[in-house]
Amino acid sequence: MIRFLVFRFSQAALTIFGVVSLVFFLQRLTGDPVALLLPETATEDDIKVMREVMGLDQPVWSQYANFLFDTFKLDFGFSFVRNAPVSEIIISRIPETLKLAIGALAFSMLCGFPLGLIMAFTARRQVSKWLMAFVLACQSLPTFWSGIVMILVFGVWLQWLPTSGTGSLSHLIMPSISLGLLSLATYARMTRTAVLEELDKDYIRSARARGVRTARLVQKHLLRNSLVPIVSISAIEVSQLLAGAVVVETVFAWPGLGLLTMQSIAARDFAIVQIIVLLGSFITVSANLISDLLYSIIDPRIRP
Amino acid sequence: MTKEVLVKMPFSEGRAFLALFLKGLAALFLACVCLSAFAVTEENIVIDLSGEPASLDPHVQWNPSSYYVYRNIFDNLFTRDNGGKIVGQVAETWEQTTDTTLKLTIREGIFFHDGEPLKPSDVVFSIKRIIDPEFGSPQLGQFNKIVDAVAEENIVVISTADPYPSLLAQLVKLSIVPEHIISKVGDSKFNDAPIGSGPYAFLEWDRGNMVKLIRNEDYWGDVGPFLRATFRSVPDVATRVADLRAGTADLVVSIDADFAQQINSGGTGKILSALSERVGYLGLNLEKPPFNNLEMRRAASMAIDRQGLIEGLLQAGEVPISQMLTPSHFGFDAAVPPFEFDVARARAIVSTNQALASSPATLATSPVFDQRIVQAIQQMLNDVGFNIAISMSDMPRYLEIVTSPSSRNSELSFGRWSCACQDADGVVYPLLHSSSSWSRVKNTHLDDLLEAARSSLDPEVRQEAYNQVHQIVREEYLMLPLYQATVLYGAAVDLNFVPTANESMFLNRMRIIR
Amino acid sequence: MEYLKESTFIQIRAMAQFWPYLFLVIFIAMAIFSPWISPFDPDRQHLLARLKPPGFEVRGGVFWLGSDELGRDVLSRVIYGARISVSVAFLSVIFSGVVGTALGMLAGHHRGWFEQIIMRLVDVFLSIPAILLAILLVAILGPGIVNVILVLSLSRWPRYARVAHAQTLSLANREFVVISNAMGASTLHVLRTHIFPNIFNQILVIATLEFGLMVLFEAGLSFLGLGVQPPAASWGSMLSTGRNYVSTAWWISTFPGLGLFILVLSANTIGERVGGLPTDRDTKS
Repeated sequence: MIRFLVFRFSQAALTIFGVVSLVFFLQRLTGDPVALLLPETATEDDIKVMREVMGLDQPVWSQYANFLFDTFKLDFGFSFVRNAPVSEIIISRIPETLKLAIGALAFSMLCGFPLGLIMAFTARRQVSKWLMAFVLACQSLPTFWSGIVMILVFGVWLQWLPTSGTGSLSHLIMPSISLGLLSLATYARMTRTAVLEELDKDYIRSARARGVRTARLVQKHLLRNSLVPIVSISAIEVSQLLAGAVVVETVFAWPGLGLLTMQSIAARDFAIVQIIVLLGSFITVSANLISDLLYSIIDPRIRP
Repeated sequence: MTKEVLVKMPFSEGRAFLALFLKGLAALFLACVCLSAFAVTEENIVIDLSGEPASLDPHVQWNPSSYYVYRNIFDNLFTRDNGGKIVGQVAETWEQTTDTTLKLTIREGIFFHDGEPLKPSDVVFSIKRIIDPEFGSPQLGQFNKIVDAVAEENIVVISTADPYPSLLAQLVKLSIVPEHIISKVGDSKFNDAPIGSGPYAFLEWDRGNMVKLIRNEDYWGDVGPFLRATFRSVPDVATRVADLRAGTADLVVSIDADFAQQINSGGTGKILSALSERVGYLGLNLEKPPFNNLEMRRAASMAIDRQGLIEGLLQAGEVPISQMLTPSHFGFDAAVPPFEFDVARARAIVSTNQALASSPATLATSPVFDQRIVQAIQQMLNDVGFNIAISMSDMPRYLEIVTSPSSRNSELSFGRWSCACQDADGVVYPLLHSSSSWSRVKNTHLDDLLEAARSSLDPEVRQEAYNQVHQIVREEYLMLPLYQATVLYGAAVDLNFVPTANESMFLNRMRIIR
Repeated sequence: MEYLKESTFIQIRAMAQFWPYLFLVIFIAMAIFSPWISPFDPDRQHLLARLKPPGFEVRGGVFWLGSDELGRDVLSRVIYGARISVSVAFLSVIFSGVVGTALGMLAGHHRGWFEQIIMRLVDVFLSIPAILLAILLVAILGPGIVNVILVLSLSRWPRYARVAHAQTLSLANREFVVISNAMGASTLHVLRTHIFPNIFNQILVIATLEFGLMVLFEAGLSFLGLGVQPPAASWGSMLSTGRNYVSTAWWISTFPGLGLFILVLSANTIGERVGGLPTDRDTKS
């Protein structure tokens, strides 16, 4: 077990290192931020001075070495675009994205599970197909479009919800739904598959043959047995949410990490993008690690 | 409230939690119910910007979202009135004593928000701070003609290396910061909680989200109608417009005429607009085919229907131009003849050298520009026989392309230029002088004219030089100026203010209509 | 008479089962024959007939689905948009599928350091949000339809590699593979004749799901201004400009949105039929 743990942890560390390095060099290929920071009338000298101030005049390898060393010391650098330490900027954004992610997950689970259950129990009937179409419809409309339509309907015409920004819980509703729609289909279909597979098993069949009520079956066996794959999907869904947040946060002016990512790439704010990627890959990799470990505890055969 | 709960916790945890939970629910309910007040109020004005201020230290970052906010917190040496005339602000009177020295009398009775008076030494400190290469201000290039500043009683003398005619125009952008605070707390802390002497004082900065200001009741000038002001960052233009229509924002920036129409038809907002000093233009690469050929450039110019673009698409009162300046600039020459629009002749010219005209060319643009204009121009050029493809890349990449040497530059580029200085030197020098990375032009005669205009203090000499510049550009079609852009704001119906050519937005110049 | 009615009804019902294929065929036909069936040149602007509602008559025809912000015919753009959207999705699914499956199978077959390198690379790519990777790559490579396909392929191949790898491993101990290996068959032979046919179904299911995702991804890139270059129309780019006109000209974004929805729905439905039961677990893990 210990060997397995060490192996998995080193794999995870290697992955994070790989992600960070890849993004570091990709970013350096996208060009530098100096032109954007300076006014149009800037001269060659101004550009040179600015590059020196930002440390961009050093060779890429030494920038890379410095970056790794500083990150290892948990010194995340300074954003010249936003004139603040990177750690400060990112920490202020984390709660907002967390709120949004929790809201979205809650929405997609609360709607996805029941939909999945209904679809599983009506699998042979037309209802199931219509529900599936509905679920897929939710997923197949781009967020940037459904988001603005929601804003216009509920914010401008009906005036039920605030159009954008943060503040109260009501601000959270539309962005959460908008982001949650992406995962809704995944949860509904996962639940449906898991329940259908479980329904096909002998013990359920015989129980049903004996006349045990469906509701009781669901309560007693199905939910518990179907939970494991669903939980492990959630781990992956979290990282998908981070990606979806880029567009949702832009549309709803939600001051979270997704919007920060977008703006930082657009401004070539390398320091911030770098740390967001580090954070994102850390979350993804740990989520995978945890779900792997959970699996191996449940089912020891999976260990290599 | 939190403290109270914390104290209670050890005694009756369960009840305290329950109470907290219920209070939370009640608060949420209230928050849901009390949504938005409609009209703009004296209590608070909400302004939606397209981005977050990068910095509130006026000597650091240079982007519109910062500029809109910090110019209300600080006073500048000079300012422009709504008519565009340079008037004193911190400087009460001024006098050009020699070709290279400017003598300013500093206004008395200006106080920073902490109660300390604004002294001539603060002015000197501000100037020296921004021209210090070590400080690394992005605005250095606008002020590095200044070599020294000396204070004596209520007088400050600024000296420049050479005669520098656009000094006053540049000093409009120089905000005065308090020496006693910055030397005490340092640059970084000052940026977090800036203290100025302007009509509004800094209140709170919720990073990534909004900046709040509060009225400076002791301001020496006009204080303005709002007690508070909130500047929010709303990147998506459709969302900004929705905010205005729903009444959650009172003023929104960066919209186009199609959005303006939505606002007007909604009835909950109105449009404020003014001609700006911003110039829409096409940059031509003079070293690559097809525009290395004068006739081709002439044909391109004739193919573009400026009036059609303005009436059909822009629709906000833009004005076609035939020089790289607008009437609001010093150096504008009203005598430059307008460009002709003549598709038939353009086709005729192109048909004389079909091979050259149809050589593939790219038109560089970026998502921040109005894509309707870019696509319409592409069609107009291709209609007469050019072979233009649009190449859209994000802003840093676009800047890299358009400032690279001709060999790596695109054949065409769309651009919108404003120096926020209303002086020809800030426009034609960087765009046409061979030393500038923005310039595709290498013409020694033009260089001489631009340098002469830059180093003379005699307005007539300068104007004469610029007239010649415009003439050369016009005759050789070195660039294709398109239109003087309009600045559009969406505003609540009862909010009034006069947009200015330099796109500044002063809260204390706004009014509520009763 | 009664009999006839009944059989027609049954026939219609049976036919109805084929709707996803039917739509797919329609879209592909639209893509191939767009120059012949679209009433206008999709890029032809009519600046004096901007934002006109469906059915608006202009000189030279009728805007059956209205006109967009530059007075271009929305119907023609939807037809031409099918060409770009379908081909971007199709080609990127093919590229990422081929590369991912090949690498995944090789990694499963050649265990050891090769497997480690490939699978760590898969982990790395899966840990970067695809949209972030795409934005960075477009910033480096520049925009354009070819680069969009390249970017989508680069960011999606690990999905296939994961599944191909896992499936190959699970087949490794099966008799036919073991025997074939023992007889000294070449890697190519084993993978082609024994492994690939057995995992093809699974790969196909992912591919159909990914197909829908690719269409959406291209739309997302268009929203960020990094998709296909204007004036070319894709459904994604029409949606992203049309969203700014939702309250004044709903037709600009509604019709490409409908196309997108039906395309994604058809692809997913086909995917489910191919895979028998839906197999989200395989595609997601």
